[in-house]
Amino acid sequence: MNSAEHAAVLASGLAGVGALAGALLPGRVRVIAVGLCTAGLGGAGLAAGLLATGGGHWTAHLPGLLPMAGVYLAVDALSGLFMAVAGAVVLAVAVYGTGYARGPHAGGVASRGVQCALPLFALTLVLVPAAASVSTLLLLWEVMALTSLLLVLADQRERASVRDAGIWYAVMTHLGLVLLLAGLALFAACAGGETFTALRAGASGLSPTARGTVFVLVAAAFASKAGMVPLHPWLPRAHPEAPSNVSALMSAAMVNLGAYGIIRVAFDLLGGAPRWGWVLVLAVGALSAVYGILQAAMASDLKRLLAYSTSENLGLVLIGVGAAGLFASSGHPVPAALALAAALLHITNHAVFKALLFCAAGSVARATGVRDLDRMGGLRARMPATTGFFAVAALGAIALPPGNGFLSEWLLLQSLINGLTVPGVTAAIVLPLAVAVIALSAGLAAAVFVKALGVGFFARPRSAGAAAATESPPGMLVGMGLLAAGCTGLALVPGMLGNGLSRAVAVAGLRGGPPLSGNGFELRLDRLAASMSPLWVAAALTAGLLAAGTLIRLTARRGRRSGVRLWDCGGGAPTPRMSYTATSFAEPLQRVFDDVLAPEQDVDVTPVRESAYLVERVRFRRAVPDRIEHRVYRPALAALARIGQGARRLATGSVHLYLGYGFFGLVAVLLALAVGW
Amino acid sequence: MNDSVYTQLLDLACGAFLLAAVVVLWLRQLSSIIRVFALQGAVLAALAALLGVREGRWDLLAVAVGIGLLRAGALPHIVRRALAAGTPPPARHYEEDNSEAREARPLVNVAASLIGAALLTLLAYAVARPLVELDPTPATRALPVGLAVVLIGFFTLVTRRRALAQVVGFLLLDNGITATAFLAASGVPLIVELGVSFDVLLAVLVLQILTTRMRAAFGGTGIDDLRELRD
Amino acid sequence: MRAIGTAAVAAQVVLVTAGAPLLAGTMRQVRARLEGRAGPGVGQPWRDLRKLLRKEAITPVGTGPAFRLAPLLLVSTTAVVAALVPLASTTTPVSGKADLILVVALLALGTVALALAGLDTGTAFGGMGASRGMTVAALVEPTILLAAVALSIPAGSTNLATIVGDGVRDPVRLASPAGLLATAALAVAVLAETGRLPVDNPSTHLELTMVHEAMVLEYAGPDLALVELGAQMRLAVLLGLLTSLAAPWGIATTASPAALALALVLLTAKVALLGTALAAAEVFWAKLRLFRVPELLAGSFLLALLAVTASYFLTGE
Repeated sequence: MNSAEHAAVLASGLAGVGALAGALLPGRVRVIAVGLCTAGLGGAGLAAGLLATGGGHWTAHLPGLLPMAGVYLAVDALSGLFMAVAGAVVLAVAVYGTGYARGPHAGGVASRGVQCALPLFALTLVLVPAAASVSTLLLLWEVMALTSLLLVLADQRERASVRDAGIWYAVMTHLGLVLLLAGLALFAACAGGETFTALRAGASGLSPTARGTVFVLVAAAFASKAGMVPLHPWLPRAHPEAPSNVSALMSAAMVNLGAYGIIRVAFDLLGGAPRWGWVLVLAVGALSAVYGILQAAMASDLKRLLAYSTSENLGLVLIGVGAAGLFASSGHPVPAALALAAALLHITNHAVFKALLFCAAGSVARATGVRDLDRMGGLRARMPATTGFFAVAALGAIALPPGNGFLSEWLLLQSLINGLTVPGVTAAIVLPLAVAVIALSAGLAAAVFVKALGVGFFARPRSAGAAAATESPPGMLVGMGLLAAGCTGLALVPGMLGNGLSRAVAVAGLRGGPPLSGNGFELRLDRLAASMSPLWVAAALTAGLLAAGTLIRLTARRGRRSGVRLWDCGGGAPTPRMSYTATSFAEPLQRVFDDVLAPEQDVDVTPVRESAYLVERVRFRRAVPDRIEHRVYRPALAALARIGQGARRLATGSVHLYLGYGFFGLVAVLLALAVGW
Repeated sequence: MNDSVYTQLLDLACGAFLLAAVVVLWLRQLSSIIRVFALQGAVLAALAALLGVREGRWDLLAVAVGIGLLRAGALPHIVRRALAAGTPPPARHYEEDNSEAREARPLVNVAASLIGAALLTLLAYAVARPLVELDPTPATRALPVGLAVVLIGFFTLVTRRRALAQVVGFLLLDNGITATAFLAASGVPLIVELGVSFDVLLAVLVLQILTTRMRAAFGGTGIDDLRELRD
Repeated sequence: MRAIGTAAVAAQVVLVTAGAPLLAGTMRQVRARLEGRAGPGVGQPWRDLRKLLRKEAITPVGTGPAFRLAPLLLVSTTAVVAALVPLASTTTPVSGKADLILVVALLALGTVALALAGLDTGTAFGGMGASRGMTVAALVEPTILLAAVALSIPAGSTNLATIVGDGVRDPVRLASPAGLLATAALAVAVLAETGRLPVDNPSTHLELTMVHEAMVLEYAGPDLALVELGAQMRLAVLLGLLTSLAAPWGIATTASPAALALALVLLTAKVALLGTALAAAEVFWAKLRLFRVPELLAGSFLLALLAVTASYFLTGE
């Protein structure tokens, strides 16, 4: 038993204790106990993951734990990376949760059921990457789905919309499970074994059709978990309605497992997929990236905005994964390794900044009671620490230096530029478009997060709730502080991850040498003569700031700044109603992308009764609905409902008829067997 | 003429040729569109001349002169005359410009057309790839350019409302076909080229007459008005 | 060796900082002369800056750190870019870090900082400017990055020193269709990024058309001086980048003092020439409606994409 295994056992034990504590302990003690257990669990997961990315490797077979198959666990560098990310997020969010789930606004988060499910959910987040057989994976996957569903439904007594979101989430996640079950069962049947070792051994014997089918089924299932367009509608519903610590866990750790699944199954177990499959993955990623960020640009609900941004970032990850597969299938492991490393780095970065963003959004929602950006504002003065944390995370999310998101997008662009040397018409067409998509989504992300930060936190409060906001309790601030420290660390010394990334990429079977070199302070791509040293950039920017600051300090007539009124065009001080809201901020973008977004608006003019020319009231309403949901899901649901209505005719209420169905069914099956199929 | 200079000039000519087609899609003012089209004709003539000099085929030079006269001179002139006939003298005051001189609202807006042109170019590249691989010389490598212009011309034909803009789209298409012929096989025999050019000239003349008649019948050259003829 | 490289970096930063107001002055003077006015003289922006810098620093009520930091960040990002871009020399201590994508991102950081400052004031003008500015910036980003990719394909690297060094060694490549298209796309993006004429009018104060001016309406005194200086430096450094990429002749590729001196003189001449040409062209241009700007940027995006593909089908394998 090595130390990584100790950590895993410790994590499981803590989860059990935490779940028991959640179920049994009373009131305030419960939240603290569950928070501590979950944080410990996260810490153990982080430790196990780091040991594995450091080169450690362990497997375990627990035959008694699951009837028939037994539980297989195996941790290598790839699963270690995902375990470490999940563990770190769980650790910080659990600390945050001890503050979040207390106080008058806590709602359903502090209830027994939720507190009992939380540690179990956290445990599955950490353990899913360690699963090493089909049945273990499916079991953990299902436990993850069920516990997260319970957690999403935490506030269902307060708001009816939570139930709606819960139904969408439950249905879509289980459709995903069905696809996954079908894909992996087919794979196991063809390979002649259900442990990952057996799958790896049997993969080479798969026919191209079987390989393609397995890939499509499994990729679709995992993509729906990652919130990819067009399987995304659960995401912008479940994430806003769940309690914020749960949204943080889902958005920062759970969706990653979708990407993990694709990498594990397609690269490691299948040993590569057909080229069209990778182009499909890349296309889905590109579509999700642009669609997600466009919807985020239109959203004025802060948590919905963040949820769509998750869809965008996972889209970028899948662009990297798809590009890696494309290069690998054309026999170019070096750019493939670089693209996969970029995707993994982006997963890490996204997890940390998105967890922080959701936590900060949760603090705001808790303090003001609103999620609508249009009704926030002025929080900078009232919640300075939260605003600072949100700003740090937003800097990561807009992919500009010195934020952490910039590094992974830079690496992704580098890998695509490097891949342009790969001959072949597919690469020549797909890669420039992918670069354009990444650039467009980066540009739109800048607009999105300027909107979220500038409209939501700056200026003056636009509602009573925002005006009465106060800073969050210390537990929440400490949790957010941990995540902010993570963001800063990843932004300034990304090279620390270098070896771990190289090992994880090697697990995926891309043996083109380490994709990155360089010490902790610099990322170097030797083949491209490109290098990036974020610490230097940050230092240079700071030096520039100090120089410019000193300049105006020295030349200005008086050292002290004095306050003056805002420019009001002579019409009296501007009121908060005059300032820009999130909706008005997004209006130009909405007009530019009118054809894509298809907004719905109607103007309702009520004339005064005596005269058709005098207007009594004008009502203007505009909504930017999720177009895919409207065009694809609504018709599908309507058709399903019609079929259901039609099927009612089969049920007349006659017991004889029902018994007859059973009888004829039995006879038909026997007949089919007798005829010999 | 050594190899690198030849390749360089050929590439430049092809680049300009493609660029002219894109600019046609970008512009709204019909008179500017015709000017760009004339420029494209000149570039096409230069392309033919370049190939002729390179391969020492003097008949190609004759073809080049013919193309120059027809596509940079005669055709733009005819279209311009049709335009001038339909455009009232410039209004004295600031009015909304609804005249025939502008392609004010194409069926697909300009930004989307430009993105579409980008995708069409990529498509042309993908389609021409196997052809290029048969015999990769500098000229055949530029084959996708000709194909892309054909597609962009077709796209213009489909999405523009004004009859004259459509005529230009048709001519773009034809320029693209000619360029493809030159790049793939260093041009077609002189007699075929003459026949094709004559055909095009005839088509444009017919279209010009048609445009005039349309204007007489509907007071404009919006193609959508033609729908009424069906009933 | 290293000393000369360091001197080159320092010279670039100083030249951009000190020369940017003069460039702005030259451009305004050219424009004034072409419009038949006498013009205030080339040194006027410098005199304006001096006047503003000596004034009292003031803070509008209700604004916070974002408002105060934005001008500093604008100047600082531009200064870092001026240090990174091989304007005068490709062999500097920082040339290994001069990444084209980093340069683009740093300039975008300045735009984001200003937009946040505009929103921080809470006025309608600030919000309007921020909203429009970010819309344009979001659309410029794909163009400029794709142009960057097009330029870095021939050199096989996004490192600016490598790209420029390649251009000096192999000038024919610059005149290839891919090079020309990429340069044209970059030029349009530069116009949008610096808020020049068809996209934004730097000398307007009409609320219907303002973009940049609306964002910075609340600034006064030394803060305004920094905003103005930052905008002028952005223009100077981007024009410098454009000349470095499109006409890199004379840029020092070795570390000799004479080459460096010559490069600095040539840089000044080239940027002044480009600025004059731009100012002359602006006399004939009208500002585009805000919602026509996406068309311009889509066109420039198309040029960039064509540049990428042209590098395949014309000279590629």
